[in-house]
Amino acid sequence: MKAIKTILTITIACLLLLSSTVVFAAPPYNSYTYNYWGEPVPAPQAYLPSKIIDGKTLGVGHFNNPSDFFVDDNNNVYILDSGNNRIVITDENWNVKKVISEFRHDGKEDTFANPQGIFVTKDGHIYVADTDNGRLVELDSNGQFVREIGPPQSDIIPADLIYRPTKLVLDSALRIYVLAQNMNQGILELDKDGIFRGFVGASRVSVNPIDYFWKLISTREQRARMELFIPTEYNNIYIDQDGFIYVTTSALSEWDIIGAVNSRSQDDRVAPVRRLNLTGTDVLRRLGFHPPVGDVAIPQLGTIRGPSMLVDVNVDDSGMYSVLDRKRGRIFTYDNDGNLLFIFGSLGNQDGTFKSPVALENLNGEILVLDSKLNNINVFTITEYGALVRDAVHLHYIGKYNESAEKWKQVLKYNSNSDLAYIGLGKALLRQDRFEEAMKNFKLGNKRDYYSKAFQYYRKEVVGEKFGTIMTCIFLLIAAIVVIRRVRGKSVKEEVGV
Amino acid sequence: MELLNGLRYSFHLIFHPFDGFWDLKHEKRGNMKSAMVIVALVILTYIMQRQLTGFLFNYNDLKSLNIFTEIISVVLPFFLWCVANWCLTTLMDGEGSFRDIVITTAYALVPIIIINIPLILVSHALTLEEGAFYYFFNSFSWTWSVILIILGTMVVHQYSLAKTLFTCVLIVVGMGLIVFIGLLFFSLLQQMFGFVYIIYREIAFRL
Repeated sequence: MKAIKTILTITIACLLLLSSTVVFAAPPYNSYTYNYWGEPVPAPQAYLPSKIIDGKTLGVGHFNNPSDFFVDDNNNVYILDSGNNRIVITDENWNVKKVISEFRHDGKEDTFANPQGIFVTKDGHIYVADTDNGRLVELDSNGQFVREIGPPQSDIIPADLIYRPTKLVLDSALRIYVLAQNMNQGILELDKDGIFRGFVGASRVSVNPIDYFWKLISTREQRARMELFIPTEYNNIYIDQDGFIYVTTSALSEWDIIGAVNSRSQDDRVAPVRRLNLTGTDVLRRLGFHPPVGDVAIPQLGTIRGPSMLVDVNVDDSGMYSVLDRKRGRIFTYDNDGNLLFIFGSLGNQDGTFKSPVALENLNGEILVLDSKLNNINVFTITEYGALVRDAVHLHYIGKYNESAEKWKQVLKYNSNSDLAYIGLGKALLRQDRFEEAMKNFKLGNKRDYYSKAFQYYRKEVVGEKFGTIMTCIFLLIAAIVVIRRVRGKSVKEEVGV
Repeated sequence: MELLNGLRYSFHLIFHPFDGFWDLKHEKRGNMKSAMVIVALVILTYIMQRQLTGFLFNYNDLKSLNIFTEIISVVLPFFLWCVANWCLTTLMDGEGSFRDIVITTAYALVPIIIINIPLILVSHALTLEEGAFYYFFNSFSWTWSVILIILGTMVVHQYSLAKTLFTCVLIVVGMGLIVFIGLLFFSLLQQMFGFVYIIYREIAFRL
């Protein structure tokens, strides 16, 4: 007994010593995921905070209310320090390469005024949405001024509109897509000379029949005071490597989102994150248990209530994308089919939590979150569990289904509640004609359409094997029914007296 | 024997509703005992359907099913219908007694039992593509029962078809009213208890 006690004490002491060497001993947030029924269930941690970068560690002085950042193809990080009206450029190891706080424009020194958006093209040209100056500014890779693009000129834009561009991206043909404040017609599309070409991707308006009814019977004055049926305004924009534009919005009503979750809607009308093709049509796949809206169980009580407020999106090369919820400081990662993979992050006062997260980026597989109140960047490193899920999704995405299944098997060792792992395993088994096992896995993963597919083959197999027995049973059943009917028919007739 | 005869008669009744309901009342072919057995069977069918239907057609969270809620969700509408039916038809020259109404309504539910129980078995042998078959028979059983309930009401109270339909709508409204008054009653009761409790707390605190 005593020996056991000693061993236990030593083990605990060793564990304590070991854990104290890790910077973040316990993660400052709980990791969970949502099951088919929309209940939050605990899950292993997928990302853990590993370090914090701020102006001081970079040696460029404190940031002031930074609003956006960008990671280019060479893994340089461009931080848009809005309050200080400057751009801080670092390499992937966080060594400062350059700080751009002013540039020569028409022979004079010019600066930004509260810029909100930054984008860097493949050849290193920096585009900035210079919000309070009402213009876009292009700088070359050395920080030299190239051109400015002023307000768009068009009949369809109200003349009295104060143009305040907030976010922008460029596609491979150097067309510019701009989001501006108070513009809900969609994304402004400018051609490569900066000339306005039109709006793309305005969200379809969904009219609530009850609202419509009230609007029908109300007077003109009442109508004027009601909310208009207007498309939602986007708050952020991202372009993936295939040229699809991702946009987020936080202007959807709570009841619309609850409705979409409850009906497991795959529709783009109530969608806080959209993926637009060149014509502005939403092509995001929403095949998960619930549409990608952030938190599925929406708290109605407490200090922070209502649906998630998505403010940024980041896409990786296998179509996996993460969205940032500003309201609760959470990051939600989905695969390209819209299945929820991970949830991590939190608001708080500990290291590794946020106060006001505003932007999300991906640097060498690490997730970076920019906080505009704490004026820092939180770096999150993927855990072993997270990497397994990521690899499984990636292998499935490139068509290596069996390798993917091997990864899912390992995932199940960490998390036996992972619906996705069961589905992934089931898909591989289905491909190997192991229908019965596939069915079992699809049932565990609550995937009815694939279960149906597996079951169809399984039934064929069983019926083929046991055709004789089944036919005999059916024949006997029919005979039994006939006999019973005769007997009963007679007795009923007797009783009724016909 | 009375029970068995009553149950066997239900098979005749669902195929010949007009004669069936007439004889049910006037020839005393049905009895309360078999009516209660039928209601019990409906409850059983409902529970089995919720619990045992094949995975592809069962969208219930099996771990959150509560047998008492299931029982209530059959028994409550049944008795609400009967009570509302009796309350209204006594005012509207209906000829059926409460006993007649209960027996008629119970017998009208037989199609739900005889179709849905085999359907539970069948649901294990169908794929999603063949689901139309399942859903058709499921809704068929309900439509059949609803038609039987309406015809039963018509025969038992000796109404014309138009008057029956009108009464049925009123009965549904009446059911809603009963539920409303019930909720109101419980809410008031709760308020009263709360009031007394607060006074008690206040006095206990002062003393």
